[in-house]
Amino acid sequence: MSMFNPLLELARWMQNTPLRLDLSQSTWAVPIIGAIHVLAIAWFGGTVLVNDPRLRRFRWIGLSILLATGALLFWSQPLRLYYSQFFRLKMLLLLLIGVSALLPARYARLAMVLSLVLWASVICASRGIAYR
Amino acid sequence: MPLENSWLFPAIESVHVMGLAAFVGTVVLADLRMLGMRLPDIQQLKSWTHAGLAAMLLTGAVMFFSDAARYQHNPAFRVKVALLVLALVAHFTLRRSRTRFAAALSLTLWTCVVLAARAVIDFDV
Repeated sequence: MSMFNPLLELARWMQNTPLRLDLSQSTWAVPIIGAIHVLAIAWFGGTVLVNDPRLRRFRWIGLSILLATGALLFWSQPLRLYYSQFFRLKMLLLLLIGVSALLPARYARLAMVLSLVLWASVICASRGIAYR
Repeated sequence: MPLENSWLFPAIESVHVMGLAAFVGTVVLADLRMLGMRLPDIQQLKSWTHAGLAAMLLTGAVMFFSDAARYQHNPAFRVKVALLVLALVAHFTLRRSRTRFAAALSLTLWTCVVLAARAVIDFDV
């Protein structure tokens, strides 16, 4: 008797939605969404290097595009990604980025270095997902 | 040993994507500022721009030569290289003028390079 696993159940439910079928069977959906995902890294990646209030809005736009396209990419193959070790690592790293954003202002320098290291690790984990 | 079958290829790809974020990421910020958007001056990030470009060119070359025949016949790869040459020439000549036209051209060309680069994966057989 296995325990109820809400994350696995969510992935299973997503796997059986019409959206998953549409995404995974379409010739263009995943290439186009993937292209927007990479383009967002290119356009908004620079904001990780600068901590300036004028960039705040720009950074949030980039983050929103990444999250939206990332969610759709996940929806195209939820079960495979659920079982991917690199995907789990990536989600953990993203969680850490979210937590490190909550550091008080006097740790601004530490937060900056931390986010650089974490985002670089996210990139490594992301490339790993493509292979296993 | 083909590079694809080891952990090396994803590792090199990762550095390529980091270079992308650093290089295009800083170029886009500078271009948008040249176009009149209220963004901070990022002159002090020049070393990131150049390090990012160097990392991309180096890792790109390594990946290409790991299986040159495979990429040579990939239509997306050919388009990407053509666009890359244009973008690089514009970057080191026209863009020095810091005009709005040069900034718009730079944004357009690098965006097309990234899109073509992603398509290399889709046309890979």
